[in-house]
Amino acid sequence: MGMLLLVLPLIAVILTFVLQDRRLQHAINVAVASGLLLAALFLTGEVITTGSVSYPYIRSFFYVDYLSILILDIIVVIGFLVAVYSIGYLEHELAASEITAGRIRVYYRLLNAFMFTMALTLTVRNIGLMWIAIEGTTLASVFLVGFHVKRNALEAAWKYVMICSVGIAIALLGIIFLHLSSLDVIMNGRFLDWTALYERAKQLHSPSLRLAFIFILIGFGTKAGLAPMHTWLPDAHSEAPSPISALLSGVLLNSAMYGIIRALAIVNRNLGDSTYTGGLLIGLGVLSIVTAAVFVLTQADYKRLLASSSIEHMGVIALALGFFTPAAVFAGLLHMLNHSLSKSMLFLASGNILQVFGTKQISRIHGALHVLPLSGTVFLLGLLAIAGAPPFSIFTSEVSVVTALFSTGRPLLGAIVILLLTFIFAGIAASLFKMFYGLPFEPSPPRGEPNLPGAVCLIILLIAITISGLYVPDVVVVLLNGAAEIITGSPIM
Amino acid sequence: MILGSLSVLILLSSFVLMANKHIKSYVKTFRAQSLLIACATGIMGVESLLKDSRVDVLVVCVLIIALKVIYIPKLLNKTHAHTHYKVEKDFILNIPLLVIICFALVVFSYFILSSLGESHVQLANSVSVIWIGLFFMISRRKAIGQIIGFLVIENGLFISALLITEGMPFIVDMGILVDLLTAAMIMGFMVNRIDEEFESVDTDRLNNLKG
Repeated sequence: MGMLLLVLPLIAVILTFVLQDRRLQHAINVAVASGLLLAALFLTGEVITTGSVSYPYIRSFFYVDYLSILILDIIVVIGFLVAVYSIGYLEHELAASEITAGRIRVYYRLLNAFMFTMALTLTVRNIGLMWIAIEGTTLASVFLVGFHVKRNALEAAWKYVMICSVGIAIALLGIIFLHLSSLDVIMNGRFLDWTALYERAKQLHSPSLRLAFIFILIGFGTKAGLAPMHTWLPDAHSEAPSPISALLSGVLLNSAMYGIIRALAIVNRNLGDSTYTGGLLIGLGVLSIVTAAVFVLTQADYKRLLASSSIEHMGVIALALGFFTPAAVFAGLLHMLNHSLSKSMLFLASGNILQVFGTKQISRIHGALHVLPLSGTVFLLGLLAIAGAPPFSIFTSEVSVVTALFSTGRPLLGAIVILLLTFIFAGIAASLFKMFYGLPFEPSPPRGEPNLPGAVCLIILLIAITISGLYVPDVVVVLLNGAAEIITGSPIM
Repeated sequence: MILGSLSVLILLSSFVLMANKHIKSYVKTFRAQSLLIACATGIMGVESLLKDSRVDVLVVCVLIIALKVIYIPKLLNKTHAHTHYKVEKDFILNIPLLVIICFALVVFSYFILSSLGESHVQLANSVSVIWIGLFFMISRRKAIGQIIGFLVIENGLFISALLITEGMPFIVDMGILVDLLTAAMIMGFMVNRIDEEFESVDTDRLNNLKG
């Protein structure tokens, strides 16, 4: 059943070559996304009852545990919403002659290839294969970033493929060192097998592991958008079609972070404490938050502003992982979940605004609430949520991360982080809120939602982030606890 | 012993690349470097065939010859021939300075690997190739130069993995090869697009997106 996660997207890719009809393409894509949703649901149940799932096919390369199923669930949920949203989005682009009907096939082909690589990242046992899948995510999404074949999109795609490929190449060097550290410990046939490395973590060669971690952190950190390797991120997120931006920000960054987390678990288990990895992660985390604060205050383009905020939230997650107490890791993972839902909602809403107003410049938009009552409201509430206002879920997890900071005896750092988060809040409020009120500039765009299926997605996401801000469902807590236990090696509470 | 001297030759070829002035000579040097890597893989492959009767390393060797020695250089030459806007000067600093920086990078590699305890001379040589490839990317302005830099990084990674053991697990080796070559092809494809849209392959022109 879990294999469906890998098989379905591939079938969808093949079908885009065979089928011509546009409506059929939409239908198949949504069907595949729902299939993935069901498969992930089934797999989640299995993981909760048995701890981890593995199948005997092809040298049992398939392996899913609490940590991977948590991120996998985020992927399929957002993947499903993006699939539904894409129907309205693409039809609108087609009606506005921005794209031709043939491009819709290309879009779905690449989208499903992208989903396949991300599902593969999270379901393999072997770290080498995981690396291949993460590099695959870049390759599958380059042409999605450059989907609108224009100068800016091309520039963004070029930066994306160059910076991320080089980053990922450095991560490969890290994996080579990881391999080196295990040569005397692990038998041939289980090389680079994460479970074997984790079991025998204490016997691995520590100096090689230290080097390996630096390279893996820099490499996957590039893909995860941690400063100072984040330079591709604002460009790619702002130039990609909005549903793709939602996937990049809500899903892709997590998959890259997952690579770091897997390495982190092994290295900290080997070294016995988290001083070494903590220093690196906290350093990059704080630097990312500072970078985002500077960006947010000076940004004139709302999609780029959202992208900067992704850098901030990845920084918060890195910070939480750096502390490495079970409570901090739990909070970091919860933050990952909340950020994905809120940020993808914002990017989807921004897609509607962009399609109606036809500009990404904040200063040229007025009266968004008047023109787009639903998307405008969702965007406004989403901005409050992403900036960290209660009652939304980001507030809850940010507070948990900061609490973890104070409780591990770093009050100064905690204070700095709070100050920076306040800055970002103020920056988002000051630059974006003027988009919503008043009346639109003449000629006023027509009132009404351009994308009805998409509007449903927005409402679902809004409900999800509001509820999870007040109360985290038990099943999510079980997953988060399980994942935090795998990472830190000690049960929570 | 032979592998040791090959790793030195591969390092040397990246110095030669750094000193090259024209895109055609980049491609030639890259081809020579890939050939050296194919030789190293071939030697390892024969050894593992005789010792454990495994053929996978030899398969990888054949693939390297087919892809990196023949196909990719051809593709790059074709891409270069297609671009309309050719300007000769491509590097940002003068060549002697670039070569001196490469020496510093080699020293740096020896330094970071010294923390591992045992001496890893061959590994240090091949890790240096990665840094030189990275630096080559930074020091060249034309898109094709940057692709070559990326491919040299990839060569460095490959030879590092090879020298540590008899390569990584076979499926991983294969996947890495396929992934990175797809990346190179995508980049080559994009160069043509950039050439058409921007009327230049100078990546300094790609500066609309800021902040």
